[in-house]
Amino acid sequence: MNLDQITSVSGEFDKDLSSVIVLKELEELRIKYLSRNGIVSGLFEKLKDVPKEEKPAVGNKLNALRNYITENFNLAKIKLEEKGSAGKQSIDLTLPGTQRQIGSKHILTQTVDEIKSIFKGMGFSTFEGPELESDYYNFEALNFAPDHPARDMQDTFFISKDFLLRTHTSPVQVRVMKNYKPPIRAIMPGRVYRSEAVNARSYCMFHQVEGLVIDTDITFAELKGTLVFFAKQFYGNDLKYRFRASFFPFTEPSAEMDITCYICGGKGCKICKYTGWLEILGCGMVDPNVLINCGIDPEKYTGYAFGMGIERTAMLKYNVQDIRLFFENDFRFLKQF
Amino acid sequence: MKISLNWLKQYVNIDNIPLNEMLNKLTLSGLEIEDVNDESAKLNNIVVGFVKEKKKHPNADKLSLCVVSIGDEDFQVVCGAPNVEAGQKVIFAKIGAVIPHGNFTIAKAKIRGVESFGMLCSESELELSDDHSGIKILDPVLKEGTQVSEALGLNDVLLEIGITPNRPDALSHYGIARDISAIYNLELKYPAFNLIESNQQISKLARIEIEDTLNCPRYSSRVVIDVKIKESPFWLKESLRKIGLRPINNVVDVTNFVMHELGQPLHAFDLDRLAGKKIVVKSTEAESTFKTLDSKNRKLSPGTLMICDAEKPVAIAGVMGGENSEVSDKTQNILIESAYFNPSSIRKTSKYLGLGTDASYRFERGTDPHGTMLAANRAAQLIAELGEGKIAAGVIDVYPAKINDKKITLRIGRIEKILGYQVPEDQILQILQKLGIKVQSSNKSELQLSVPPFRPDLEREIDIIEEVARIYGYDNIPTVEKIYSTLAKKYDESAFIDELKSTAVSLGFYEMINNPLQSVTSASLMGNKIALLNPQSQDMAYLRTSLISGALEVVSRNIKHGERNLTLFEIGNVFNKNNSEAINSFNDFAEKTKLILVITGNQSEKEWNNPQIPFDFYSLKGLVNSFNSKFLLDNVLNDSYYFTQNRIFDYSFEKITGNDIIGFGGKVSQQVLKQFDINQDVFCFEYDLHSLQAVLPSGKRHYKDLLKFPKVLRDFAFIFDKSVTYSEVIEYISKTSSGLLKSVKIFDLFENESLGTNKKSMAFALEFYDNDKTLTEEEIDKEFNKLIVSVSNNFNAKLRGN
Ligand SMILES: [Zn+2]
Repeated sequence: MNLDQITSVSGEFDKDLSSVIVLKELEELRIKYLSRNGIVSGLFEKLKDVPKEEKPAVGNKLNALRNYITENFNLAKIKLEEKGSAGKQSIDLTLPGTQRQIGSKHILTQTVDEIKSIFKGMGFSTFEGPELESDYYNFEALNFAPDHPARDMQDTFFISKDFLLRTHTSPVQVRVMKNYKPPIRAIMPGRVYRSEAVNARSYCMFHQVEGLVIDTDITFAELKGTLVFFAKQFYGNDLKYRFRASFFPFTEPSAEMDITCYICGGKGCKICKYTGWLEILGCGMVDPNVLINCGIDPEKYTGYAFGMGIERTAMLKYNVQDIRLFFENDFRFLKQF
Repeated sequence: MKISLNWLKQYVNIDNIPLNEMLNKLTLSGLEIEDVNDESAKLNNIVVGFVKEKKKHPNADKLSLCVVSIGDEDFQVVCGAPNVEAGQKVIFAKIGAVIPHGNFTIAKAKIRGVESFGMLCSESELELSDDHSGIKILDPVLKEGTQVSEALGLNDVLLEIGITPNRPDALSHYGIARDISAIYNLELKYPAFNLIESNQQISKLARIEIEDTLNCPRYSSRVVIDVKIKESPFWLKESLRKIGLRPINNVVDVTNFVMHELGQPLHAFDLDRLAGKKIVVKSTEAESTFKTLDSKNRKLSPGTLMICDAEKPVAIAGVMGGENSEVSDKTQNILIESAYFNPSSIRKTSKYLGLGTDASYRFERGTDPHGTMLAANRAAQLIAELGEGKIAAGVIDVYPAKINDKKITLRIGRIEKILGYQVPEDQILQILQKLGIKVQSSNKSELQLSVPPFRPDLEREIDIIEEVARIYGYDNIPTVEKIYSTLAKKYDESAFIDELKSTAVSLGFYEMINNPLQSVTSASLMGNKIALLNPQSQDMAYLRTSLISGALEVVSRNIKHGERNLTLFEIGNVFNKNNSEAINSFNDFAEKTKLILVITGNQSEKEWNNPQIPFDFYSLKGLVNSFNSKFLLDNVLNDSYYFTQNRIFDYSFEKITGNDIIGFGGKVSQQVLKQFDINQDVFCFEYDLHSLQAVLPSGKRHYKDLLKFPKVLRDFAFIFDKSVTYSEVIEYISKTSSGLLKSVKIFDLFENESLGTNKKSMAFALEFYDNDKTLTEEEIDKEFNKLIVSVSNNFNAKLRGN
């Protein structure tokens, strides 16, 4: 036996294999080459007759031949089996798979989560508070004088003379300031209620995320920086913004932050009431009266607060035209997010 | 508030400022421009026309055929107005003009067979007034072809400005002009007027007394006699029309004009209808009624501040005058009221009456107690001029306790402390001066300021800092580029709820958010409901007592939309009274956060390879237990079952630990489903999150070594009496077995006559292992056989397969 003989067996196998069509023929091929009495075994038998100095080379070649034949045989078998089953057992792989239902958080929750994660990244804590509040926490401690028209800014649902459904999450600010000493960096997400007409644009309840920062050297300039950072994270880096003077009883100076309307790019459209700007949040430096009411010395500490409405944000971001959709919980709506 | 730009220009010269820039700066300074209405643009293609000829229309009696010239061109126009005559100057709308009233465009038309190239307009068509009796005849000196907006001074820009409740000073044209003067460092000027008094002394004509000096600190007055009540001149009617007011007569129009000019509400009394020619300002002592000038009877609460004459009330102070003293066509002598009322008194009255007027809106925010006399003089001068009357000599100005300017100290350094930027001192001084704030003295670090009372919002140093900041411009204050954080301890009170939500989502639930305000039926499902004092509607008159009713409403609505297979959850607060008392403290009610899981319909629909599987009680239980296992509560909570119907469930279970119920749920009863109009089974479970959080295993989670030795599985099945429950068997097996048995699961259950009457078969899979070694067959056999004997004996059960 020499190397050429082995090569010719390999060639013969290739020829035989190429003519195989059904499994039965392949089995015959296996018997011819790979069985105990097959050609390959026969060649191994003859190895003992090979001269000693040629043995390693011939042995190697023989091993390679056996591997080559085995691999090709296996491949051919898999192919033939697949072909065979398609013909006989008929697996229709195009039939639909069995799907599982993946739930989802409400789109308002997802919006709050996104806002929370941005502020968490800036080192803010998260606090919550009750929805059924006292007049003290909702108004008085926040510098709303009794009988002041500022109270008309927030139409209130009353439970009794001194208890009400909170009209903003700001009472949580009061609770946090009373319970924790500065420095404070916190956001306060939550549900609030206002007696507004229920229609496509307004509802009797909505959600807010408010923020509060109190320390020894907090300034309006830092307030601007923090909120610009937030807005760029949330709305995109290229946005234009402006801070506009406004009024809230619990902050002074007070401002509202607008960003360029991203529906029309600032040219003016129905959504931005043709101003080119969209109001995204209210903010300001915490009024010294509020700090005093919460036991914090306004000479030593300053702070800022801000608040934004979640429904409005989500409506703009996801192009939801009717606020009531958020609370109808139509399964077809919920499944979209 | 509506502002006319042309009107504004009387007090500050803004001719050189681009309009858009000025409006933008006003908005940024806190006077938000909400709407801009450029009137001149509205009247494009409407010009002064000259009627050259007027003939009868050949085919219609009531129509005329006119030739109208606009100077370089003549047009044939068909006109239906009765008052058109040749030689008139008229308002001519050319083809393409848009008529404001009705917003229609003029096109070439054929009217009764004759072509018409435009239209002659009435005042009402241009929305100048309601007068549609005929076309408007213009002053003959106007040149034909001139744009009407220019000819009539209609080239105005009308602004809608949102005024925040802290800024009563900005509720007038003069007030807005003051802010503009501060923003642009311009001069604020009030036009001089010439007040000519007659020789009739006011003291002979009227007397004024204030009894309630707390609520009426100042009452100033002028009297004008021999006034002719008539229509106001065009300029005054136009001024009022532009700001959305309807002209009434010269006297009423003047009081409105001065209010919108200076911010001081005025009232004009018919002096001859005041008994005793006397005004007494006092508060009511008992409940009473009063007929206001809109002919409505108003019920007044005790303590309402009233303007009275010698005998009776004649006006509700600061809110609305009375019918009994109103100026009428016959009025000759006028007493002008220009007063300062206590804001909270007016607010209480206005709220109580549910009656807000332009006057009460200003009084309750705070008017200028120093400005009453100027406004009275201005009104007297205008009334005398427009009504050909005579101003009585002298004034009546009852002002028992003078209201002084406020003294405020501004520390210059404090501005930087708050803003993070030091506004230059000359800028500070300029801003303050333009806002009417006087610097009385100053040193290096402090300014002593005197703030006039027309700014009730300025009481403290911080208020002054805000003024400086907003006029200087927030955009001119730098934005810090680096945000600092702190090393202080962080809290996250919403982390637990976030995790619960994620878990529910991972189990395939969709989150819903329901309105906690409910109808009486929904809120009465369970608990002790809390009512709103001022509900918007009966559908939203109570606070929810549990999440169940809201969830069932959602299920009901969805089924009506054809969505029958639902897996929903909600986390929200519910509210219950602790007793039947009114809510006066936090102890009188409980606000609790709940989580509800709701399932209904099929958990999987029929598919080509799977049968349809409906949700049932065990689906609910399984989901609840999956939920619990996420929070490592498998071995902490016990189940307690209720096989009989209660108010809400046909059958139900609770998760309990000790005496605390962590949650409860089950199959919602038919009765409740009917109430919510639901016609398929619904299963729900409500957790109390406070209780749930309290039983959570405390401390950190630690990794447990993975099992290194094989598990050995064995099965057995017994025939039991039907009354034996699964949990009895499981508990018994767990109790009896040694520590080697790590888990028992039921994998088959069936009942069949072949087993014997009242018998059932339960088959269990048992899992044995030891954490420290491989168990031998002998060890397991011993344990397994022992269990077989104990179970057989204890339950009188027969091992199957033997
Ligand atoms: Zn836009």
